[in-house]
Amino acid sequence: MLSQCLAIARREFFFIWRDKDLRYILLFGPLLGLLIFYGTYSHQVLKDIPTAIADLDRSRASQELVKNIRGAENLKITAYPESYDELEDLIKKGTVVAGVVIPENYGKDLSLSRQTRVEMIVDGSNMIYATNATSAMLSVSHTLSAQTGVKTLVARGIAPAQAAAAYQSAEFREEAWFNPTLNYAYFVVLALALNIWQQCCTLTACMTIVGETGAASWYQFKSLGISRLRLFISKSAAQIITFMAVALPVFFLAFAVFKLPLRCGFLLFFLFSLAFATALHSVGTLASSIAWDPVNAARFGMIIALPSFLVSGYTYPLESMPGCLQIIAKILPQTWYFQGINLLAFKDPGWAFMSQYFLAFLIIAAVCYTVSAVIVARRT
Amino acid sequence: MTPLINVKDLKQTIGKQKILNGLSFMLSAGECLGLFGGRGAGKTTLLHILAGIDRFKSGSVEILGCDIRKSEAFKKRLGLITQERSLFRDLRAYENLEFIAVLKGAGTENITALVKRFELNNILGEPVNTLDAGVYQRLSMACALLNKPRILLADDLINDIDPRSQHIILRELNSFISGGGSCIWSFSRIEFCRATGKVGWLENGTLSLYSPQEAQELWDSRLRLIEQQSGENDA
Repeated sequence: MLSQCLAIARREFFFIWRDKDLRYILLFGPLLGLLIFYGTYSHQVLKDIPTAIADLDRSRASQELVKNIRGAENLKITAYPESYDELEDLIKKGTVVAGVVIPENYGKDLSLSRQTRVEMIVDGSNMIYATNATSAMLSVSHTLSAQTGVKTLVARGIAPAQAAAAYQSAEFREEAWFNPTLNYAYFVVLALALNIWQQCCTLTACMTIVGETGAASWYQFKSLGISRLRLFISKSAAQIITFMAVALPVFFLAFAVFKLPLRCGFLLFFLFSLAFATALHSVGTLASSIAWDPVNAARFGMIIALPSFLVSGYTYPLESMPGCLQIIAKILPQTWYFQGINLLAFKDPGWAFMSQYFLAFLIIAAVCYTVSAVIVARRT
Repeated sequence: MTPLINVKDLKQTIGKQKILNGLSFMLSAGECLGLFGGRGAGKTTLLHILAGIDRFKSGSVEILGCDIRKSEAFKKRLGLITQERSLFRDLRAYENLEFIAVLKGAGTENITALVKRFELNNILGEPVNTLDAGVYQRLSMACALLNKPRILLADDLINDIDPRSQHIILRELNSFISGGGSCIWSFSRIEFCRATGKVGWLENGTLSLYSPQEAQELWDSRLRLIEQQSGENDA
């Protein structure tokens, strides 16, 4: 019996290896994904956001403000438009992402201690740019408004030290935990690469049943009286081992070469990925048992694998999605995996906390494999 | 003598179409039944039922004393050659022999002898999909004989293959039968009936048994009748 299982598993390895397309997809897809995404996010933090300043006042005070904005972190002043319309045009064309408009009577209002309004505009069409630009602009505006306030108090006869103390009496300190520099690469690179990996694995798993029953060689298995369970377990074991084998170079590159964070021990991360690979395989197997032919199975695989990352709650909170979508997301193992790897990479919540994720994988696998078995038993 | 295959009132339908309509026959050790019939007569359907690939609607089928609806034990002593190319296309010729031997629990010791008898030495490293029809059929038969079966089921065994392969396959078939094996093989060209012990003519879902000579005569008489009718029509 063991020799049969080993022979079936060996043949499955041959099958995957000798199918050139499948081999290249599995071997190079996730690795290439990791390299591309690491390259894309190599700057890690969005710096040098192109910004324009429209100084409509041209006073000494406004010049000083321009100087301060120029010194702001993450903003790069690339244009000085003469008017509001010119600034609007620059933002529309995408030449700049952020803009500052200093009003005409800025210096005068400031000297008279009258309220003045400096407008800060951000191009919201690109969310990533917009978020970063807003953050950079807020940082500038906080500093400048404090400086202006201190100056106003001094102008009203309050001692400079007292004026400064008045503004510093309540300090609001921002501190990002787990990813202090808000490094994009740390957040998305591994997840995006593993998204490619899970897509490749789903497509492979979608061939588990239909790849066999749809081929004429199925007659051999049936006429030999090979137990379906033995055949299935042997094939599945070979596939899951292959999934993990192609993930290992990705893990090595990510953690050892690119130094992406992994707070938990590697064993926990590996076992977590193994549990996910099994649950993912069960979903692929279910799709494979429903499908009538391999093309049909591949379509099912694409429908499951492609949107799964988006609905996993990794890039947009699950809680902000409609209730029905949340339910669908929680049925998918990808949701548990991507949420889980974020925890493992940044927080190391420990085995006890992660046990609920393992349990989710176990339930998904048990349900999908059982339903597949029922369908296959009825069909064959 | 207990028959190796005992089929009683076998019925099979696909959709609403009756493919087999109450077949009964027996096959004993050392017998070779040629299953003759046109396309769609039900030859493959019958062989797939006997091989335990397909379920059937009603009737009873006993092979090697097993009711095939209740037990699969008979499969250990069965060899099958299918009409479709059913060897593992992702494996090479030798790997197929090796793999099927393991699946059959037969061990690999028979492989060398079968390779020699079926003259497969030169193609062992070839992917099976690239093999010529005749070579493929020789390899299929070698795979079917790996477990030294008592019953060989062959669908379209030597149709449209090269004469050398035909010769090798028929030689090995005779050797198998003379060694006490039983065989049912299907064909759709009447001249092959001479290579069988008896002919089962499958038509309209029923099976009629003839000696090879009777089958040939029946075929000839039908041909004459068709020629006669067409002559009358032309006139």
